[in-house]
Amino acid sequence: MSEILQLRNISKTFPGVLALQNIAFDLNEGEVHCLCGENGAGKSTLIKILSGAYQPDEGGEIVVDGRKVVLNPHLAMQMGIQTIYQEHTVFENLNIVENIFTGSEIVKRGVLQKNEMRKQTVGVLKYLKSELNPDRKMGELSSGEQKTVEIAKGLVFKRRVIILDEPTASFSSVEIENLLDIIQTIKNSGLGIIYISHHLEEVFKIADRVTVLRDGRKVSMYNLEGLTKTTLIKDMVGRDPSTFYRRERVAIGEVVFEARNVTGNGAKDISFVVRRGEILGIAGMAGSGRSELMNVLFGSARLDSGEILIHGKLVKHSSPRASIKNKMCFITEDRQNTGLFLPQTIAQNVTIANLVNTREFVVRQTDDFRIGDKFVKLLNIKTKDSRTRVINLSGGNQQKVVLAKWFNTNGEIFIFDEPTLGIDVGSKQEIYKVMVDLLKQGKSIIMVSSDMPEVISMSDRVIIMKNGQQMAELTTDEVSEENILTYSIGDKAI
Amino acid sequence: MMKETTTQRRQVVRESLFKRHENLTVLSIFVGFVVIIVILQLIMTGGQRFPTFISPVNLLNILQQVGVPGIVAVGMTIVMISGGIDLSVGMLASLVSIVTALGISKWHYGVGPSILLGIGSAVVLETAMGYIISRTKVEPFIVTLGGMITFQGIALLLCNSREVIMNGELNFLKINLIAGAKDPLSHLNLIIPPYDLLFFAIAFLAGLLLNYTKYGRWIYAVGTNPHAAYLAGINVQNMKLSVYVIMGILVGIGGVTLLARVNTGIITLGQGLEIDSIAMVVIGGTALKGGKGNIVGTLIGVFFLGSIGNAMNMLRLPSEVQFVAKGLVVIIAVSAGDVSTKISGFLSRRKELRLGAAQSPVGQRG
Repeated sequence: MSEILQLRNISKTFPGVLALQNIAFDLNEGEVHCLCGENGAGKSTLIKILSGAYQPDEGGEIVVDGRKVVLNPHLAMQMGIQTIYQEHTVFENLNIVENIFTGSEIVKRGVLQKNEMRKQTVGVLKYLKSELNPDRKMGELSSGEQKTVEIAKGLVFKRRVIILDEPTASFSSVEIENLLDIIQTIKNSGLGIIYISHHLEEVFKIADRVTVLRDGRKVSMYNLEGLTKTTLIKDMVGRDPSTFYRRERVAIGEVVFEARNVTGNGAKDISFVVRRGEILGIAGMAGSGRSELMNVLFGSARLDSGEILIHGKLVKHSSPRASIKNKMCFITEDRQNTGLFLPQTIAQNVTIANLVNTREFVVRQTDDFRIGDKFVKLLNIKTKDSRTRVINLSGGNQQKVVLAKWFNTNGEIFIFDEPTLGIDVGSKQEIYKVMVDLLKQGKSIIMVSSDMPEVISMSDRVIIMKNGQQMAELTTDEVSEENILTYSIGDKAI
Repeated sequence: MMKETTTQRRQVVRESLFKRHENLTVLSIFVGFVVIIVILQLIMTGGQRFPTFISPVNLLNILQQVGVPGIVAVGMTIVMISGGIDLSVGMLASLVSIVTALGISKWHYGVGPSILLGIGSAVVLETAMGYIISRTKVEPFIVTLGGMITFQGIALLLCNSREVIMNGELNFLKINLIAGAKDPLSHLNLIIPPYDLLFFAIAFLAGLLLNYTKYGRWIYAVGTNPHAAYLAGINVQNMKLSVYVIMGILVGIGGVTLLARVNTGIITLGQGLEIDSIAMVVIGGTALKGGKGNIVGTLIGVFFLGSIGNAMNMLRLPSEVQFVAKGLVVIIAVSAGDVSTKISGFLSRRKELRLGAAQSPVGQRG
C-alpha cells in the first residue's frame, strides 16, 4: 500500500482567524481516511486546500505521489483529486452522461463522440452496481443518485483521490447503505478516499483511519481497530470553558410556547416548552433538521401533525402573518436571502414586518426614518442614519438590522437561527448582550446554533436533534460539550 | 436641533447628486434631448421662428398621444416593481375596444354598461393571468405572452375579424376642455381632452399608493425579496395577484379611450402598446427584476418616448428613423446610470493616483 497524498505543516489564516494550524495528514491507496470534528473544526478548510480552492500559508507542503505541488482547482483535478462537495454542483437539465463529461468531452475532429462517452458511463455505472439509466436528467435524480454519478465521474477520469464532504446529509437510510457499498467497491480498486461525516456510525463502518480536528488543530489520528466512539467524542470536545461568553441569568417564568409532537418539513415528533425569560438551545449537526423545524414553528412550512400552543392557546392556522400577530419573531439563518431587503434602506427594512400589526393604510416616510434612526442608535448600527441601504453594511450590522425589524414588531417569542453566523467577535458579543436584554424584558428565545460555545454559554436548556428527531433534552446542569456531541452524532437517544 | 439638521443636510449634499435622486440621470438626458432638438430647429430656421417643438400646441399634441400608453405604463410600473411583467396589454386593449364597441353598436347595452363590460373583461382576464402567475412558478413573461396570443384570438372571434364601427357615442371622452383657446404663436386650436387629466390623476394616485401606503411598501418588498417578504408576514401570492387586477382596470380604461379616439373597435388599436409602455417604464428607471422604480421616473419615460417620434417629424426626418431613435434612447437611458458610476469611479481613481504621485518622494519624479 503506497502513499498517494501527504500534507505537512499546513496552516491557514483568514483575517483575524487561524482556521488551521500545523496540520499533518496523509492518505494511502485503497484506504478510507475519515475526518472528524465539530462544526467549525476546520474540516472544510482542509478540504478546500486539498482541492486547490485555498492556498495554505507559507511553510505548508502538499505532496502528491512524492512530488511537492502547489495546487489550484484545475491542477488538483489533473493530479487525480476529485472533491465532491456537500451542496450539489450539477447541471440539472443535462443527463448523466453529459454531466460526467461536461468540460472534458471526448471529441474527434470537432465532433462529440456521444457513443464513446455513453459507453464509458455505462461501464462505470455497472462497475458501481448502479442501475441508473445514463440518459436520465440529473435534476430528476435523488441526492443519493446524484452522489453516485459524481463518484462515477471520478472513476471515468481515473481519479486517484475522492473527497466526500458530508455526502449523506440528505440521504435516506437505504441510500446511505448504497453509498457505503460503493465506497467499499472503489476503495478495493485502489483509490484513496477522504470521508467527512457527522455520523459516527458511518465512520465506524467504512473508515480505515480517523483523524480528529478541533479548533483548527489535529488532535489525534487512530487506526479503526480498537477505537471506541467515546474516545472519538472525547477528542472532539475539550474547549476551555473560561473562554466562553458569560451571560447573566434571568428569572424564569411561565410557559409561553409549547410544541406538541410537531411533525413536518423533515422534523419528526418534536415536543418542548419555552418559558418566559429563558433561552432554549437547539443543538445538532448541520442537516439535522433544526432550521426546518423552525420554519414549521413560524408557519413558513407546513405542519403535518402535532400542535403548537402560544400562551396555552392552540394555534389553528399557522402562517408567518399569523405568527407575527402572535408576537413571534424569526431571525433566519440566511439573513441576506430570507431576512433582508438588501437594496432598500435600513428604515424600510426595519418597518416592514410590523405593517401587519398596524391599522393605518397610510404610511409616512418620516415615521420610517424616525423608527429606523431610533434602532440605529439603540443597537449601535455603524452608519450615518437609517437612510443607508442595507447592502452597504457589514455582516454584523446587517444582522442588527434584522433584529431591529423584529424588535419593531414588539415580539415576545424570538426564534434565532444561527444568530451569530459569519459575523465578527465584537458584533457577536453585542448580539449576545441584546439577547440577554430581551430575556430581562420578559421575552423568550428559541436558539438554533451550530456554534458549540454559543449553545453552552447562552442556553438555559438544550434540545438535541439528529435526522429530524429529538435525541435528548438537557437541563442546565447537563449541558456540556460532551453530552451535546454524544447525542448529536452518536446513536444514543433518550 | 436646527444646527443638527443643517449639518446632516450638508453631509447628504456631498453624496453624488445622481445617486441621491434616482430620476435625475434620465431627466438630464431628456432635458438634453429637448435642448438638442430646439437648437437643431433654431439652426434649420436660421433663428427666425420660435421652435415649434416646444410650442404649446405641440406639447399638448404630445400629451394627447401619450395619454393611453401613459395610463398603461403606470400599471406596468406597479407590475414591474412587484417583479412581474405584462406583455398582453396591447392585445387586451384591442379586445376591450372591440368588446365595448360591440356592446354599444351591436348588442345595444347602452354606453355606460358597455364601457363597464369592456373594462370588466380586462379585469377578469388580467385576474386570471395574475392567478396563474401568483399560484404557480410559471414566469410572468410566459403567462402574459400566452395571454397576449389568446386575447388576440378572443378579440378576432368576437368581431369576426372585422372592425366594429360606432356612431361617435364615446365622443364625450374626447371633448376639448379648453375649447376656444388658441396658441399665441400659430393661432391653432389648443386641445386638452378629459383623458389627459385622467392620466395625470391615475399617475398621481399610483404615486401616492406606492409611496405612502402599506400596500406600496409591500409591493416593493415582494419585488425585492419575495421570501423575506413572506417571512415578514406579507401575503406574497395575493400581492402578486393584486397588481394584475390593477393592470386590468388601467388597460380597460386605456382600451376605452383608444376606442373613443378613433370611433372604431379594431384589433390593431392596441398594437405595440406593450412595447411602448415597457420601454417607458424602463427608461424611467424601473428594474426588470423588481423592487426598484417610481412613478415620477415613469412620467419622464412616458414624455421622453412620446416626444421622440414628434421630434423626428419636426426635424422632417423620415418616420422610419424614429424607431432607431426610440431604441437607442431605451438603451442609453438604462445604461446611463451604470456608465456614470463607472466614469466617476474612474475619475476618482485617477485623482487618487495623481495625489499619490504628488506625495511620492521627489527623487522618483526626477
